[in-house]
Amino acid sequence: MLQHAILVLLLPLASAAIIALFLRRAGGAAAGLATAVAAAIAAIAIILAIHGEPFSASMEWLRLGDFSLSLGIKFDDLAALMLCIVGIVGLCVHVFSLGYMHDDPCRGRYFGGLSIFMFSMIGIVLADNLFMMFIFWELVGFSSYTLINHFHEKQSAADAAKKAFIVNRVGDFGFLLGIVACYWLNGTVNLTELGDKHVFSTMIPLLLFCGAVGKSAQLPLHVWLPDAMEGPTPVSALIHAATMVAAGIYMLCRINVLMTPDALTVIMWVGTATALYAALCAITQRDIKKVLAYSTLSQLGYMVAAFGLGSTHAEEAGAAVLAAGVGAAMFHLTTHAFFKALMFLGSGSVIHGCHHEQDIFKMGGLKAKMPLTFITFTIGVLAIIGMPFLAGFFSKDAILHLALENNHAVFAVLGFTVILTAFYMVRLWILVFLGTPRSEESAHAHEGGWSMTLPLVLLAVLSVLAGYTSLYGHLFDGVWSLIPHEEGLLIPLIGDALMLVGLTAAWVLYKPAADDALAQKSPGLFGALGALKASFDKLYDYYVAKVQQRFAMLLNFLEQVILSGLIVRGGAGLAGLFGLGARAAHVGSLHAYVYWFLAGVALLWAYAAGVF
Amino acid sequence: MNLLLNPLFLSIAAPFAVAVAILCGLPQRWSKRLAYLGFGLPALIALWCWANFPANNGAEYAWFVRASTGLEGFGISLALGLNGVSLPLFVLAGLVGLAAGLYAIRSTAERTKLYLMLLLFMQAGLMGIFASEDIFFLYFFHELALIPTFIMVGIWGGRDRNYAAMKMTIYLTVGAMLSLLGLIAIYVKSGANTFDLMALREAVAAQPIAATAQKYAFGLLLAGFGILVSLWPFHTWAPLGYGAAPSSAAMLHAGVLKKFGLYGLIQVALPLLPDAARAHSQILTVLALGNVLVIGLITIAQRDLKQMIGYSSVMHMGYAFLGLVCFSTLGTGGVVLLMVAHGLSVALMFLLATSIHDRTQTFDLADMGGLAQKTPVLAAFFVAATLAGIGLPGFANFWGELTIFVALWNVSPWVAAAAIAGVVISAIYGLRAVARVFFGSPTPALNGVMAANPPADLSWGEKIPALILLIALLVVGFWPKSISTPLNAALTAPVATAKTAIP
Repeated sequence: MLQHAILVLLLPLASAAIIALFLRRAGGAAAGLATAVAAAIAAIAIILAIHGEPFSASMEWLRLGDFSLSLGIKFDDLAALMLCIVGIVGLCVHVFSLGYMHDDPCRGRYFGGLSIFMFSMIGIVLADNLFMMFIFWELVGFSSYTLINHFHEKQSAADAAKKAFIVNRVGDFGFLLGIVACYWLNGTVNLTELGDKHVFSTMIPLLLFCGAVGKSAQLPLHVWLPDAMEGPTPVSALIHAATMVAAGIYMLCRINVLMTPDALTVIMWVGTATALYAALCAITQRDIKKVLAYSTLSQLGYMVAAFGLGSTHAEEAGAAVLAAGVGAAMFHLTTHAFFKALMFLGSGSVIHGCHHEQDIFKMGGLKAKMPLTFITFTIGVLAIIGMPFLAGFFSKDAILHLALENNHAVFAVLGFTVILTAFYMVRLWILVFLGTPRSEESAHAHEGGWSMTLPLVLLAVLSVLAGYTSLYGHLFDGVWSLIPHEEGLLIPLIGDALMLVGLTAAWVLYKPAADDALAQKSPGLFGALGALKASFDKLYDYYVAKVQQRFAMLLNFLEQVILSGLIVRGGAGLAGLFGLGARAAHVGSLHAYVYWFLAGVALLWAYAAGVF
Repeated sequence: MNLLLNPLFLSIAAPFAVAVAILCGLPQRWSKRLAYLGFGLPALIALWCWANFPANNGAEYAWFVRASTGLEGFGISLALGLNGVSLPLFVLAGLVGLAAGLYAIRSTAERTKLYLMLLLFMQAGLMGIFASEDIFFLYFFHELALIPTFIMVGIWGGRDRNYAAMKMTIYLTVGAMLSLLGLIAIYVKSGANTFDLMALREAVAAQPIAATAQKYAFGLLLAGFGILVSLWPFHTWAPLGYGAAPSSAAMLHAGVLKKFGLYGLIQVALPLLPDAARAHSQILTVLALGNVLVIGLITIAQRDLKQMIGYSSVMHMGYAFLGLVCFSTLGTGGVVLLMVAHGLSVALMFLLATSIHDRTQTFDLADMGGLAQKTPVLAAFFVAATLAGIGLPGFANFWGELTIFVALWNVSPWVAAAAIAGVVISAIYGLRAVARVFFGSPTPALNGVMAANPPADLSWGEKIPALILLIALLVVGFWPKSISTPLNAALTAPVATAKTAIP
């Protein structure tokens, strides 16, 4: 099985290398190779999961003195689950890209980027220690950068890519510091060894959590994710919805044992705040991908909150924490990966059909033009808002259940977010698919080829079934057994009531709408939500342009004027002046030298006589 | 062993001999042909040494040879050898030298013969620095490599070349003088009456140098080497000098020669003056943080591509100094890893910056944009070089930075935090430059330039030297053991076992 794991890691690296070296101009071959590799990854991932036995292996990669860094594989049910998600969604996205990117002149670069991403993501999943996780953590950041930057001639895409990388680096600053702290305080960064023995420290998990805040786009580092929608839509589905942004949650589950109650409280509130904030932002968006992006942020907030909630069962400091949070977070991560990838690919299908129109107020009536996309997208919408018997219903209930048990304030916020989620998703769904076409593009919309519809169907099936954990047999038992189960119907009833409130509100407001009804009926609220959304970007723009840049300019000014100018040039000038003075003393006249001589004698005498 | 057959001697003698031949009036065509030999042979020898280095014997000097110079009375003899610390830098010198040499041979510089001759002298000096076991020759080879730099900046330099050449000369001469004084102080105060490094280490192991003498000697070495390595605030020569220097000279100086100061600190100052080194560690930490944070921010404000690369190189030297103040195998090893990685990546950056200038006729970042549409391969190389510079895993730089960060925790968690904050700063300026040059759409001015001279993508003459550097970065990035194993052996070995020399 170890060979399988190594193969699944190295296959995409080989694919990326071959594409970079030989297939840059052969887009079709590159696409075929990358897709074949993705299929192989999905197959091997499932084989590994079915085999199921946990195993681990590692190899020393660098040694200096007592410091040893190794690369290794830790395969257990958690890794198996994540690997299967990455494999299946990855395959769907590759196949979808065959159609979606068919006419792109830079297909080679695109598929090479996807392969690099698969390599890096699988590295995170299999990593057996934090240093290795950090290595691949940085590499997914790089692949995300390249793929967001795919349309690099667009200034907005270039800016978004840069922003994503830098914001993630801010999070990684804390992550790396946390890893270093963990190494010195615990003596190891190996995940298994940490489980056996570790010191009680709130600082370490919080520093490590910084990494998740960056990668999983939690407040206040969420700003890069909406901008990242500049990338091709399949990339948004794979990287910025289903897998990479979920890596933060996966990482938290990996280091579950290091958590302390205080750290968990912080994590819980960050997740809750993100869930609410992003849902509020999603309401006013006009761009189909931006709605989905904020929705992703909100759902990631749910997962982070779930993680923070569940594990606060810890009775006493340092004791083994209950892992209910891991169960709920990973469960929602799984269902979300499927229905959000489905909706992103569905939106890709819509955008492709509408000739790259992304404004939902210029769509409408696509139900008839794109029936398959309509049906699958509807399943996705129903799954995310928590319609009973679809995947999202079960996983969201697990989270709400945890919240009700542990913290009523969090439960209230998350419950309110359920209303918002139903509201913005149904709004999107009505505006895109119902009514009549509101633009030339949507009037002539058409369904894509098989490569674009097949992945939608597969993901739609998974969005229905993924919530029934009994269907998996014994696969991933190690994770599913952690999911908290409620007694009775209280939570489902509350959840569905809330969902219906949001759904109805959206239906009433947007069913007859051709323009943004909320903006017309309640401009104050609409404006406030818009301002809320813009607040962070404004703040950061202000910081970058007015604080950081000016401080850098000031330092540069001091460097050029004071250090290089006044001190160095001034010093040189002084030396020059001294030279001039010394030269003036050497006038070449014997009389002058005699006087200098006499002055010197006088000075010596004065010194000897003790005048000084 | 016969000196003339010694690979290390050959690696120095080959470029030197070609340079002398050109000096004696070799015709242009033959000058270029022989220059391939002069740059190629040292690189091949370096790679051969790397492949055949006795893996776990990093502490001993391999391919050791000693030749009489007639100065034995002063304790000076030509002693060549490679240990685990010098091997990676010897390889660095060979590879960067080859890349810079190939780039120069294919360039269209005026007075090509003179240019090549100076570069070859420089190359001989560089190989000599890292192959020398004798401190006198360590210094001698440094001077041999340094002087051509001044001449090259003065003759082939760009904007401000006269001022830049003068400033560089004064700074670096002062730095070299101070370090020479420090070396002489060690010679005198150790009581060993020899410049032989191994003999000195044995003498000091038996009888440490007196505390006061250590203090002065280390102060002199730190000041001297600090200026040579552009320690803040003695760095202002570097961005100016690199901004003005012709590309091959900048590659060799920033990539290799600048590492002499750090190499001297690691091989000479730290082992021979350990107490004084610790006494100076606080001030050095503060200054090095100045390199990382102050210079880092200044780098963000740069508008000129070459100045920006110059400043970023100054910033990364801060990490190297920080690694030294850890006084641990991990920290010092990290410094060597970073020296190699930075040397390769900064040389690549200077090379590509010149290639960009050839196509845009400007170094001003505000006047560029959208170049990736015309020259995708150049863009890919530049992005790779930038990512290497900002420490992305997969490139050698990552290992250097990571090990230094880990080691720094033991100095102080706050210093570690401040150093790691530099990672964000370097991402900001690096990616900003990439975006300005290559992405978005071209400025009207650039459109005019490109309409007059449609830019071609990288030619093979540019691609081959760039590939040499990039492949080396990736090899060390993917397989750090290739360097760290001999390095670890050299740094962890007690002095006593280090005295025997492999024949």
